[in-house]
Amino acid sequence: MIIIGENIHVIAKAVSTAIREKDSSVIGDLAKAQTEAGANYVDLNVGPMKKDPEENMRWLVNTVQEATDLPLSIDTMNPVAMEAGLKACKKRPLLNSASGKTDSKAQMLPLAKKYNCNVVISVMTDRGMPPDVDSKIESIMDTVTYANDLGIANEDIWVDPIILPVSTAGEGQRFTVANLEFIKILEDVLPGVKSTVGLSNVSNGVPSELRPLLNAVYLVMLAKNGLYSAIADPLDKDLMRLIKGESPKEVELIHKTMDGGDVDFSTISRKQVEYVKTAKVLMGETLYSDAWLES
Amino acid sequence: MDYRAPVEAYTGVVREITIGKGNKSLKIGGENILPFHFFDQGSNPNPARFALEVLDMKPEDWPEHAVEPYRDVISDPVAWAKKARGFGVDAVSLLLVSTDPAVKDSPADKAAALAKEVAGALDVPLIVYGSGDEVKDVEVLSKVAAACDGMNLLIGPVLKENYEAVGKAILDHGHTAIAQSPLDINLLKELNVKLSKFFPAERIVIDPLSSALGYGMEYSFSLIERVKQIGIMTKDSMTMMPIIANLGGECWKTKQAKENKKQGLLWEGMTAMSLLLAGANIVVLRHPETLKLIKETIQAR
Repeated sequence: MIIIGENIHVIAKAVSTAIREKDSSVIGDLAKAQTEAGANYVDLNVGPMKKDPEENMRWLVNTVQEATDLPLSIDTMNPVAMEAGLKACKKRPLLNSASGKTDSKAQMLPLAKKYNCNVVISVMTDRGMPPDVDSKIESIMDTVTYANDLGIANEDIWVDPIILPVSTAGEGQRFTVANLEFIKILEDVLPGVKSTVGLSNVSNGVPSELRPLLNAVYLVMLAKNGLYSAIADPLDKDLMRLIKGESPKEVELIHKTMDGGDVDFSTISRKQVEYVKTAKVLMGETLYSDAWLES
Repeated sequence: MDYRAPVEAYTGVVREITIGKGNKSLKIGGENILPFHFFDQGSNPNPARFALEVLDMKPEDWPEHAVEPYRDVISDPVAWAKKARGFGVDAVSLLLVSTDPAVKDSPADKAAALAKEVAGALDVPLIVYGSGDEVKDVEVLSKVAAACDGMNLLIGPVLKENYEAVGKAILDHGHTAIAQSPLDINLLKELNVKLSKFFPAERIVIDPLSSALGYGMEYSFSLIERVKQIGIMTKDSMTMMPIIANLGGECWKTKQAKENKKQGLLWEGMTAMSLLLAGANIVVLRHPETLKLIKETIQAR
């Protein structure tokens, strides 16, 4: 599993302040910490970057490259900032992200070709978010075909099915189940493409102390179905242990749960029970509530 | 080859709950089939139950045609309750609207005494709804529970914000609880999980909030339907409770119901029929003629 470290993110106040004030120590420390924790890429999520996009992005990329040798994921919807970022990268970057929207096809996908980089392409189109597995597949096939015509190979495309919060009233679990299914069949419909997800969104809106559990278990489940990479928090030790194969017993329990096997709670630890209960929620077997561990 | 209709059999069973005591008691729920799926394997031992509303004060915003059946008793909740009973209900629902700080802020002691008097005057079980003010209801419903000790009233709303205090009073005095959540299945389950940590799940009735036709009824319909599906088909213990559809007030708030009588009866009737089809086990109505209309409709099946 390729982990794209999510911690340099403008929504974090410290990060937005550091970019504005060109404080290289804050940014450098975040890059180093993620590298040491085992991330494979560092994501630079700068949002729309309306002010001085070229200069700011160049500074950010150079600052991060002084702190780490990892390749970067340039994460902005501003094509000017995107190009400045890709241009400044020493290693082959990841363009994060393009989609099937008209603007994105016209502006982002040509950049992926021009800079010969890997590119995240989401299932989003001008019609918005496709509601189910079939329509997600249909949308992504159209956009990938478009990218292929521009000369971008399947091997350079990382498909993003868009993760939505499991806690969304009544509907969230339908989304988590659909994305598990999507990842499972992706290789069959688009051989050679890779995949990625914005993992943490699955736990958006959930009490904060419970979020890491949902993130970690969902990542194990997606990995079982063939997920290639995830934008996630590499500083989450539990998640990294699970995904790097250091907790094989726990991973096995989650897999067994996905396969419909019965798990005897009296023989496993409290933490393991939590993993099983969480897997059952994410696969749609138990109805979600914020108290899912308590029943 | 002969056609054979498929027959489903499910593993979940909605808890059968008894409200009231002795010869005044009433059973609700208990089904292991989806609503009206009499062709499947299983049964619904208790048909849909009906209650009529009684207010603890003279209503201020009711249209003339809603007041009409109760004109002579409209200022006397005990007489009103008896009259409502005469229309052939399974239970009476006393709404303590006057206790709302935004209405009259009438004292909890007075409400509790009234509840006791009404319960004593009836030969059917009593449902008691507080005003819904999460703070005031703690006092009001606790005093109602104590005053009616051992009568097994159906008392609510028990909310996320006050379930500990209100739940404890209902439990200590031997009543049944109405757990209410705002049209959200995840919150509904969460409240049941939390409440049932100290309160027996066998004494919880779900109130998912019942919106009126044209004012969000689809949400209530889908929610009730889903609660039943998840309980009966996937055996989720925290949704296997009977459902109360407290819809009279919601329907008669609408412009359409207020405009004229026939429209009002149909508005309330259509909402009630829809929510029964979704899976409601007990329905609280406002107008006695709606009750008659629905009973006739069901009997004509």
